[in-house]
Amino acid sequence: MDTTIVAAKSVIAVDIGSTITRSLFFDVVSGKYRFVAVGSAPTSAGAPHFDVTDGIWRSLEQLQYITGRVLLSEKDGVIIPSTPDNQGVDIMVATMSVGNPISVVTVGLLDTVSLQNARNLAHTTYTNIIDEISLNDHRTSSDRINMLTRKRPDLIIITGGTNNGASHSLLSILESIGLSSYMLNESLRPHILFTGNEQLQDEVKSGLSKISKLRIAANIQPVLGKENIQPAQKEINEIYKEVRNRQSGGLREVLSWTEGTFTSTAAAFGRVIRFLSEKYEPEKGVLGVDIGSDSTILAAAFNGEETLRVFPGLGVGSGSAGVIEKNSLDLIKRWMPIELSDQEIRDYIYNKSVYPCSLPLDVEQLEIELAVAKQAIRYAAEQTVPDLPKQLGAGGTLLPFMEPIIGSGRILTLAPKRYHPLSILLDGLQPTGVTTLALDQNGLLPGLGAVSEVNPLLTVQVIESSTFLNLGTIIAPLGVARPGTTILRVRVNREDGRSFTRDIKYGSLSILPVELGEKVSLHLRPLNRFDVGMGGPGKSGKVNAVGGVLGIVIDARGRPLQFSLDPEKNRKRNEAWRKTISKYE
Amino acid sequence: MISKVKHIHALTSIKRERVLPVAGHVLVRRMQKVSPSDVIVVAPLVSQFVLLDIAQGLNVNPARADELLQRQAGEDLVQGDVIAGPVGLFKRVVRAPQEGMVRIAGEGKVLYEISSPDFELQAGMEGTITNIIPERGAIIETKGALIQGVWGNGKTTYGVVQPTSNDLLKELVVEQLNIGFRGAIITAGFCRSPEVLEAAGIVPVKGLILGSMSANLIPLAKKMDYPIMIVDGFRETPMNKAAEKILIENKDKNIALNAQELDTFQGNFPEGIISQSSTSEPDLPSEAETLKAGKKVIIINGPQAPQIGEIEKIIPGKQVLSSGVETQLAEVTLANEKRTKIPLTNLEIIND
Repeated sequence: MDTTIVAAKSVIAVDIGSTITRSLFFDVVSGKYRFVAVGSAPTSAGAPHFDVTDGIWRSLEQLQYITGRVLLSEKDGVIIPSTPDNQGVDIMVATMSVGNPISVVTVGLLDTVSLQNARNLAHTTYTNIIDEISLNDHRTSSDRINMLTRKRPDLIIITGGTNNGASHSLLSILESIGLSSYMLNESLRPHILFTGNEQLQDEVKSGLSKISKLRIAANIQPVLGKENIQPAQKEINEIYKEVRNRQSGGLREVLSWTEGTFTSTAAAFGRVIRFLSEKYEPEKGVLGVDIGSDSTILAAAFNGEETLRVFPGLGVGSGSAGVIEKNSLDLIKRWMPIELSDQEIRDYIYNKSVYPCSLPLDVEQLEIELAVAKQAIRYAAEQTVPDLPKQLGAGGTLLPFMEPIIGSGRILTLAPKRYHPLSILLDGLQPTGVTTLALDQNGLLPGLGAVSEVNPLLTVQVIESSTFLNLGTIIAPLGVARPGTTILRVRVNREDGRSFTRDIKYGSLSILPVELGEKVSLHLRPLNRFDVGMGGPGKSGKVNAVGGVLGIVIDARGRPLQFSLDPEKNRKRNEAWRKTISKYE
Repeated sequence: MISKVKHIHALTSIKRERVLPVAGHVLVRRMQKVSPSDVIVVAPLVSQFVLLDIAQGLNVNPARADELLQRQAGEDLVQGDVIAGPVGLFKRVVRAPQEGMVRIAGEGKVLYEISSPDFELQAGMEGTITNIIPERGAIIETKGALIQGVWGNGKTTYGVVQPTSNDLLKELVVEQLNIGFRGAIITAGFCRSPEVLEAAGIVPVKGLILGSMSANLIPLAKKMDYPIMIVDGFRETPMNKAAEKILIENKDKNIALNAQELDTFQGNFPEGIISQSSTSEPDLPSEAETLKAGKKVIIINGPQAPQIGEIEKIIPGKQVLSSGVETQLAEVTLANEKRTKIPLTNLEIIND
């Protein structure tokens, strides 16, 4: 659709990250919305400023300098809407990820059912679960009251009971929550989000609304086995804004500039992935991964159904120590193609966590950062995959079939070589079947997610404008064989009629030389009952593919990747894989 | 580019807020001089509650239990005082489990708060109270030396600073930890041995300030009873020269060591403060400044960390590092007059 038929409006999307605040400018160019420029500045949400507007203002000043367009006025702040002489901007939206995680106590009935719903909900934003209450928890009411008054969570998420289901057990837990909340100073009282049995809503309101900041959402599990997370997710996003508003100054101005179109970066990231899932192949899902300094976000969506997981304290900057602490040094080291002592690796990672903006000086330091990124994504994927729809693709702990997979984050976009982001995403996510790995090279995804709420046409047109860099089409056959066994025959038919065939051996990583942007037709014939997503094990099929910066990658290393107990063997294998993919840079 | 300022100052103005998250009773007044152990504010920070099921205790229904209550919310009780009852043939009663107060009573239950000693928030540093934050605490100001670290094990103390050698270049080893350091806050170049941390606890020292430490000692350092602050980072390098000079020159003086955990969002850094009397009125240090020629900087990453030098010039445009990463560099002259090129991102400003 051409924008001439709608009221064209310029848009700025501000993203307040943990270290950098970025202002993305979108406008109509030749009748279509395009990303125009970005301005950035250090984030000022925390000490010593405690006011987000300083960082926003500086990033907009840089944007003014780059674009030559006046956006700020000393008198009025950001000029909204734009003036007839092209000053200012029509719409502003904002996303935010900076800040310490929100402390959460989850409450449910059964550990594997409602409590799991509460955890899933908590993990859709930047939270840290500090305690849990359920029927399996044998603490007395007094112990629970003491726990809540001592830990003083920012938020209590209460789930439990299908509609018309259990109520008595939940009411007994609610008593402890109400009493503890009452005992706290008003300013310390937690937000409470009730998303359990809807029959209890009136009792919850009458018991808790006067002594807490209560929000009620539709039952997260209205019937057994069906999770309905989106209404509660909307409420938790509102709570996120309220908590941040208390911690950082300037958010009132941001809310006024954006007319309330302000959300967490994770929620916006999830929204744009959901948006893409409605646009791309409906039979496959769309996956997005954003790896930041402090946190990692994984968002998957199937036909508009979104699964979002946020992992605060798991990143490649301030969150890099969290990657060791949540995993182990060995799990990081297994990705490295060079030999370094445990102490060198550990020291570097902890230094990076206290100096998150520092850059790697040499190849050894860079390899540590790449390995941290891979393990952060691997951890996030292992935690998330079990919650994804089972009927599509590999199942178990393997990623279902997805198309495309989009990576975002400075470690990916600023990596020195194009094979670095490909290798991080390929090893960390371990996709299956046929997919495309793409890079959000300008870091637009959260901004586009926020914009989609007010101007979906802009999101569509910017996505269609080749904003994502195609790293490569990936073919990852599923199955088991002895290393060296031929498991796939690929015939590549070029548009000019030329063609070639390759036999792929199990355990290998190979690249088919297809130029960036070149359209080819692939005929995939799996052998030995391997599955390439053509309808089942051993099934052949044709796929149209486009060459990425690394052509077409055939990852026949097996799923999940297996590692040796001998670190030297792993190192040599990583070295060999690296050689393969670096040849085509 | 704007850089964070690493606070290592021989003499600066220092202003710190000491507050509790809950309302309490402030014990100091404006312009009062305080020492580190002086209590600023007291409050019942950690209450202990007991939910008494009166109905069950009296074996009656909740409505009847409410009728049998002898106490109301807000009443102070001592251990054994009757809260509800008597009822029945055996004159059943529910008594106060310990000294405390009835906080809520009704529907057959009583929420009872057991008396606990108030939490006392100490000043933690020498200085003058310059402002009172009603019911919460106070602002303390002082002049003196300030050394900011990058990692702390969450503990605080106050005591005499004792360097373990004439410079802080070397590794701290067990043999150095003699009885002469008992009760002192000792300083050294770096530490890589768990035996050293254990031995320091046995002496016992009152605190430990290190230039750097092997990261594999972090779990053990967190368990130590005494505060540990790391000034520069995780490696095996001597302490930076600016911090070393301050600690050597202030030998035998009192240092307030707050080895709190790093929280850059809240602006909480581990730090050591040595208050000094001075007639000069230094400004409060700035938190961030622009990297430019003439600025004194400390290198925070790589083999040259934590050397201090001066920026000769910012090299225009981006350069490619050995890692392949493209970034802007500064030409820096180190203390030994050698010149080196360092990414701007790997520098922090230092105004010692």
